Amino acid sequence: MAPAAGAAPYEERALFVRKATGLVRGWSVRDAFIYSAISINFVTLGLYAFSFANFIPKGSLFWAAVLSGAYLVFQAITYASLIAAMPRAGGDYVWISRTLGGGIGFVLAACGWWFILWHWVPIYANILNIMVLGPLSAIVGWDHGVHFWGRSAGLFTSSMIVAVMASVLVGLGIRAYARFQKWCFYGGVIGLLVMAILLLAHSKGGFISAFNAQSHDVYHTTGDAYAATAKAGAGSYASFASFHFGEIILLIPFLFFFNLWSNWGATLYGEVRGASDFRKNIYAMGGALLATTAVAAIFLGLFAKTFGWNWYQASNAAYWAGTGPLGVFPYPGTLVSFFTGSSALQFIIVGLLSLWFFGWVGTVFLSSTRVVFATAFDRVLPEIAAKVSSRGVPYVALSLMLIPSIPISYFYAYNTKFNSWTFDATLVIAITFLGSAISAAILPWRRPDIYNASPIAKYRVAGVPLITAAATLFTAILVYAIVKWFQDSIYGVNFRNSEYYMAVLYGVAIAIYVGSRIYRRTQGMDLKMVYGEIPSE
Amino acid sequence: MRIFFATDVHGSETCWRKFLNSGQHYDADAIILGGDMTGKALVPVIHDRDDAWHATLLENRESLVGEEAVAAFEDAVIRRGYYPFRTTPEEVRELHENEAKWHALFSEHMLGTVERWMEIADEKLAGTGIACYVCPGNDDQLEVDDVISKAKHVNLAEGRIVELDGYQMASSGWSNPTPWETYREEDEPQLAERIGAVVGQITAPPERTIFSLHCPPYASNLDDAPQLTAEMDLKEAGRATVPVGSKAVREAIEAFQPALGLHGHIHEARGSARIGNTLCINPGSSYEQGMLLGAVVELDGKKKVKRFMLTSG
Repeated sequence: MAPAAGAAPYEERALFVRKATGLVRGWSVRDAFIYSAISINFVTLGLYAFSFANFIPKGSLFWAAVLSGAYLVFQAITYASLIAAMPRAGGDYVWISRTLGGGIGFVLAACGWWFILWHWVPIYANILNIMVLGPLSAIVGWDHGVHFWGRSAGLFTSSMIVAVMASVLVGLGIRAYARFQKWCFYGGVIGLLVMAILLLAHSKGGFISAFNAQSHDVYHTTGDAYAATAKAGAGSYASFASFHFGEIILLIPFLFFFNLWSNWGATLYGEVRGASDFRKNIYAMGGALLATTAVAAIFLGLFAKTFGWNWYQASNAAYWAGTGPLGVFPYPGTLVSFFTGSSALQFIIVGLLSLWFFGWVGTVFLSSTRVVFATAFDRVLPEIAAKVSSRGVPYVALSLMLIPSIPISYFYAYNTKFNSWTFDATLVIAITFLGSAISAAILPWRRPDIYNASPIAKYRVAGVPLITAAATLFTAILVYAIVKWFQDSIYGVNFRNSEYYMAVLYGVAIAIYVGSRIYRRTQGMDLKMVYGEIPSE
Repeated sequence: MRIFFATDVHGSETCWRKFLNSGQHYDADAIILGGDMTGKALVPVIHDRDDAWHATLLENRESLVGEEAVAAFEDAVIRRGYYPFRTTPEEVRELHENEAKWHALFSEHMLGTVERWMEIADEKLAGTGIACYVCPGNDDQLEVDDVISKAKHVNLAEGRIVELDGYQMASSGWSNPTPWETYREEDEPQLAERIGAVVGQITAPPERTIFSLHCPPYASNLDDAPQLTAEMDLKEAGRATVPVGSKAVREAIEAFQPALGLHGHIHEARGSARIGNTLCINPGSSYEQGMLLGAVVELDGKKKVKRFMLTSG
């Protein structure tokens, strides 16, 4: 029978759901997208990572960003699949421990989400200095500040600012932090729009004039600073979009500092809904990755148009060589603000762009505290590690992040050797992601019960489970990057001391796990119980 | 004494079977299920023609041909915690238009499943010497209690004190109000009264007492649930959480200080917390994956319970 005029046509009902706790309608892809976009972060991570591109002068940064961004969609699919198969599980630690075993799960998660993030505190601080505090000090004419933030004491001070800010944001709770991040995202997007408009509206000649004038006013350079910068960092750089595949892929391990983090975003998955939530997670993570990649590609194009591609590469090369006339990181936010000539407007532009930093800063501790909690609940760490105050602040887990980060920040700031070891920061996390990728690839065989009960069991590519196909491809690029990091000194991580240092971190994690297992066994509580599956028949 | 506690299996037969095996697996003297044992949804398996059927699970529409395929699909539905039923397009439409009718059908399937579960339990637990206690939760209709009461080896714990090898356990599956207006929920004063009535029967000292209260104590971190909008969407993509536990439960724990508090209700809030001397545990739930989250607790009669472990079996 045809529906009555004006009545909605009957749609066959696939599910009759009664009233029951936890049945929610949905969640916003936009919200999840924002968290992923802040985690990948074109400004704080992208602009910093791009500054290393000159070390592979024949590689096209544009193509490397585009190709690696597109390829890492497999990462988004891998993680969306893991979330769909084991929602509410708590991330890499649980996925790896439930698939590869508790010991491997603990060691990889402890190193990748806990120990190594101590080292990210001074890295965040360095970015705070070169993109926020240094430029703002220069703009307001506080020359002492510019020098201070560039020195060891300044780096240690900003490390403490980062540690305190991250602690406060985590202490405020995820709800407040999520809101704060959202406002930072919107403000930061306005900053990027202003930056794009200024780059579009001005010619290279206009930039040269503005740069020479403003770098003189703000950084007290003399003469033709543009030409001096080009000379200081001169090199035979490939043109903006030249396509030398072999050189392009050499840039990818550098770019992982920027675009490997889309999985820090969406973690939610519906209870009764299925496939649509799986797709939403891919849209949120993959969407943020692709959108950020597109933003990066556009801005790199704008840098080439307005700064001149060779000059952009040279300015970064000069910075890392310590020969640039500017004497500071050639932060594109500051360079673009030079178009205005007004200190107030320059301050506003850099200030708006700095929201990308402030929205991001809490991430240095937030996920780590969750891992500490998960391992404490599994009794690998003592119960006290999961203790919270009456206001819900996870003060012990926070202390486990905050306290070690202080001496590490100190060594980072005052010891150049130690500083170089922290390039491992990306490598160690990549190894943890590799554990999750392998777990995902073998999930259909290793835990068929979990896999078959999930909505992703339906998705196959040429007869291979989608999760396996995506995770295998993600594994391949991770293995490539890890091999390059270990093999090639250009990435700055294959020092013997750096390898020893990493080995110590993994050794500490193994010692904690083994020690805990022995201790629990003396209590009559074998840690094996945590992960061992109960027979269902 | 070693106990194993799990909760919120929500109709997952895999989890129920694992629960019944958990005593032997963890070498526990008693196993306790904290509530919300019944499923949330009916899944129609719709007959098209001859041996062709179709059905949808987790938004994946399946075309099923032959008895074997239909049975395999129904097994997947049961593992997930829902109730499959074979039907026709006409009947699905009729059910869609007649809420009372599908609610009756739901009750029939749900109670039938609980009955079958009790039979499985009687078979599996007979002769093991493992005590089994079940206390329905706020999502379980009241009729469930009668079905459990009839089981030989499963003890209904709701609203009473049970003796557990020198310990006393006070149980209730009722909760404070939820946005879903479920079967066993009431305002905090009434809930306080209900809990008070059970706790008032305790004769054991606090260190030999267990509270098995489905709803976790307020602001204990065991009650952090994703915040919802007025339209029942998750705020901030589920990252914003709010405490939704019961103040009555918290006050009861603070006042009595039992050795152990066993809770559930909020699947995402897996963890443990201390309220004074009381160790409170919410093992969480991953029933959709057929993973039985639980807690193994060793009770030694001391003021503070120190030996426990959250498990994922």
